Amino acid sequence: MIYLDHAAATPVSEKVLKAMTPFMTENFFNPSSPYLPAVRVRAAYEEAKNQIANFIGAKGNDIVITSGATEANALAFTAISCSEANLLERGANLRKNNGSTPVKSPQILVLETEHASVLENAKNYDYDTIKVDHTGLIDLTDLKQKITAETELISVSLANNELGTIQPLAEIAQIIREERLRRLKKGITTPLLLHSDASQGLALMEINVSRLGVDLLTLNAAKVSGPKGIGALFVAHGVRLKPYINGGGQERGLRAGTENVAGAVGFAKALSLIKGHQSAARKKYMRLVENLKSELKNAKVEPIFLGSSKHQLANFCPVSFPGLDAERLIFMLEEKEVYLSTGAACSASKGEPSHVLKAIGLNDAEIKGSLRISLGTLNNEENIRKAGKIIRRAVDREFERTSHA
Amino acid sequence: MPKTVYLGMSGGVDSSVSAILLKEQGFKVVGVYMKNWSKDLPGMKCPWAEDLADAKRVAVKLGLDFEVFDFEKAYKEKVVDYMLKEFKAGRTPNPDIMCNEEIKFKLFFDECLKHGADFIATGHYAKSENGKLKLAKDDNKDQTYFLYRITKAAVEKTIFPLADLRKPEVKELAKKHGLANAYKKESMGVCFVGDVGMKDFLREYINIKPGEIRELETDQVLGYHDGAVFYTIGQRHGLYVGGGLPYYVAKKDLDKNIVYVSKNLNAKDLWTKTIKLENLFFRDKNDLPKDGKIAVRLRHRAPLIPATLEGNTLSFDEEIKTIAPGQSIVFYVGDICIGGGIVI
Repeated sequence: MIYLDHAAATPVSEKVLKAMTPFMTENFFNPSSPYLPAVRVRAAYEEAKNQIANFIGAKGNDIVITSGATEANALAFTAISCSEANLLERGANLRKNNGSTPVKSPQILVLETEHASVLENAKNYDYDTIKVDHTGLIDLTDLKQKITAETELISVSLANNELGTIQPLAEIAQIIREERLRRLKKGITTPLLLHSDASQGLALMEINVSRLGVDLLTLNAAKVSGPKGIGALFVAHGVRLKPYINGGGQERGLRAGTENVAGAVGFAKALSLIKGHQSAARKKYMRLVENLKSELKNAKVEPIFLGSSKHQLANFCPVSFPGLDAERLIFMLEEKEVYLSTGAACSASKGEPSHVLKAIGLNDAEIKGSLRISLGTLNNEENIRKAGKIIRRAVDREFERTSHA
Repeated sequence: MPKTVYLGMSGGVDSSVSAILLKEQGFKVVGVYMKNWSKDLPGMKCPWAEDLADAKRVAVKLGLDFEVFDFEKAYKEKVVDYMLKEFKAGRTPNPDIMCNEEIKFKLFFDECLKHGADFIATGHYAKSENGKLKLAKDDNKDQTYFLYRITKAAVEKTIFPLADLRKPEVKELAKKHGLANAYKKESMGVCFVGDVGMKDFLREYINIKPGEIRELETDQVLGYHDGAVFYTIGQRHGLYVGGGLPYYVAKKDLDKNIVYVSKNLNAKDLWTKTIKLENLFFRDKNDLPKDGKIAVRLRHRAPLIPATLEGNTLSFDEEIKTIAPGQSIVFYVGDICIGGGIVI
């Protein structure tokens, strides 16, 4: 097997599994129970939270453990000050006031290439999308123009999940600080928050929430050789969330339910294995992606490498073979046990063309011919060389099949 | 030049094995997935995207060209709307029969010919021979009941690659060729609502009112139903009345929203010697014997029983359990499926 879809899922490493196992077996206790073994489990859980938070330059109390990135994103949206009903009503009033023109004052701004778990939450409110350029990079002018006195939350992922394009979060945060200052001067109390989904890129970047200037940051264990079903939301001081799952008051009353101790311990362990090695990993993947690209350039269909060459996660190699049917390529490669995907796994299974590839201005033939290749721990020089040859041969075969017809 | 066959591929084992057989027979095979209408309801998801991927995977594996025909609009109008109309009228329609008549062997057939097909093919268990639709070898899987309304023109240009195979042989072939879906469980439930029960689907479209369940003989109220349209004449379960011998749905009064049931298997409303049909269909009028003596199938997989057709009245030698209005009765002479009609 040659696995080239690390942006979708990653294998839990041996060390992570070993760290987790005791918390499912001998240390199974409920961390809320009063006796000593349970208290020790509580301590291990808090320590895991500390480690996860430290990885992004925060403290254990600053994060809320969730069931994954999707839940963390949903939780982030509870930071919006008004109730949903209230907001919808405000939206309706605005619509009325402006006659037939669309709402001018969205409360939420999201990048148009965001993951469905952000976009679908935004749809519950008055929202607008921020444009990207042809590499998937945020259009900062568009952002500045769309921020209004009503904007409360701006959500921009750290790196796009289909293109790997890294967004300039620090610059975005600066724009937001300027807007906050304007509001303060005018006596406007509407808060303005920056949320970022950092599911992609966690393994390859040195992330520091203060440096990035984010108020809310989504983390996901499943993309960094941690277990599935665990994620976290960083919440900056002063940001108030609404209780999301009601019950026994766990996670500061925001997200009740017995803590996923093994998951949190596994997440923390996975991050500890990454820490300090990001730069080496970047170098390794950059070299592998270069090798892969030069092999793919020999194909009978000229590839278009997508995304930004300057601001791209080192392990991403999204590529289009215009005129070919990428889905056919995936099934051909699957027979050779080479696994990769078209767009994000979620949008591919809906049979709809990727909104991300549309947003960067690809035409239909380019979208249809697009593969998402994302490298990771399972890749090395040898299997990437092999994969390159196998993909090139599949492309050539498809090219010949279609040009005969 | 090899002849071109357009094969309807659903992602299931039957159409996948059909693709293998056609390819082995030397045809140029084009796989086609028909995208019919589907509806996602909260908590239920139509599996069409997975089915499409399964179909395409098999086509690619066999090196076939593959296309998707979009029949959503036609399917909604011809099949779904028809079905809802029938249910609203208190009848029990068969959407699969309508789908074959209107979509697969009309729209799909025409579209394939336009694309340059010499033949079409499907993974049905049935046989096409000299322009006649005939029983499949596997009498347990035979699907001619669902195909009785397809035209002669379609039969003449249709290949049923599974005509002479039994289901276990088909599964064996699938495994031999390493088709992953040989292990996939067969789809159950309404094709356009996934694994959802018909009841949940109808609830979305039909205004359902609870009402009384009364005993046929005594007019006594035995209990309450959650919507008369959900009950099929002859049905024996789900009456919420409980205890003792089972009850059968004997009659429905849609105006008063009452479902009548009976414990008496001999209740006269449950048995009949004659059935009146409408929308009679014959592929070839000459197939019907002068004396009207034919064999009929009352439902899919039911045994063939003798009957006589005079005009639109079907009479039986012995009493049969009554068939719900809207259901189809299919006619056979020997191994030929000659047509059928819909119970009034």
